[in-house]
Amino acid sequence: MSADRIIFWAFAIIFVLGGSLFTITRRNAVSAVMSLVATFFALAVVYVCLSAHFLAALQVLVYAGAIMTLFVFVVMVLNRDEMDPWARRGLLSRVLGIGLSSGGLVGLSFYLLDWKPEVTLGDLPGEWGGVASVGEVLFSDYLFPFEAISLLLLIAVIAAVVVARTPRQMQQLGLEESPPTAAEPSDAGSHP
Amino acid sequence: MIPVQDFLVLGALLFALGVAGFIYRRNALIVLMSVELMLNAANLTLLAFARARQDVRFHVFAFMVIAIAAAEAAVGLAIVVGIFRNRHSVNLDELTLMKH
Repeated sequence: MSADRIIFWAFAIIFVLGGSLFTITRRNAVSAVMSLVATFFALAVVYVCLSAHFLAALQVLVYAGAIMTLFVFVVMVLNRDEMDPWARRGLLSRVLGIGLSSGGLVGLSFYLLDWKPEVTLGDLPGEWGGVASVGEVLFSDYLFPFEAISLLLLIAVIAAVVVARTPRQMQQLGLEESPPTAAEPSDAGSHP
Repeated sequence: MIPVQDFLVLGALLFALGVAGFIYRRNALIVLMSVELMLNAANLTLLAFARARQDVRFHVFAFMVIAIAAAEAAVGLAIVVGIFRNRHSVNLDELTLMKH
């Protein structure tokens, strides 16, 4: 095993896999979000190893910037620690789930490590994966999907506003006719 | 040189961690974060194949995946906020309104 592979795996295990393991095991949601940010930064480094410079920049900007800010705000709104964070499930399904998923994962990993691809990682031109090369394809062959995805994002933003509103806010916007007394949730005290 | 299989194995491990978090956690926020982890694993696999095949079109597809993930996070977090406002809990085991 060459030196750069050792460095890559040390980085990947500590930051990518360690960060994601922290994300799914922390009881405090703020710790989970922060380790998810660390995971996304480490993944940006891995993307640079794959000479995907444009996608690495997008990873930092969109994931570690925008999406994580959204998560942090939602955690700020509804932050409360859980007493029992793990889902209730029987012993049989738990053993079966862990056994099947980890068994499939180990089998897939052994298959992949033995796999000899026909393609070779030859030398690439220096600008491959940069903004110019990706943008050239994006704005010529994939112009319609690009515009469609911008429309999808607009619809998603409007849907998020509509779903997360309170009736009082909607009434202020003139979008709903119901009186403000309907803002109180009717089943507030009835949850288990 | 790092072979492309290492990136694929890393993507598979990351996806498995995302699945584990999705199944075994009860907090809706952590479940959404696990979905983000799985989407990132898919992106990593796409970029590994882009490097192997030296094809920049995979990068365009990964770009679309990032945009879809942003839309999914916005709508999903809005739904979580709406559920919390109505029921004062984001525990997925307690959301049994549609179970009967």
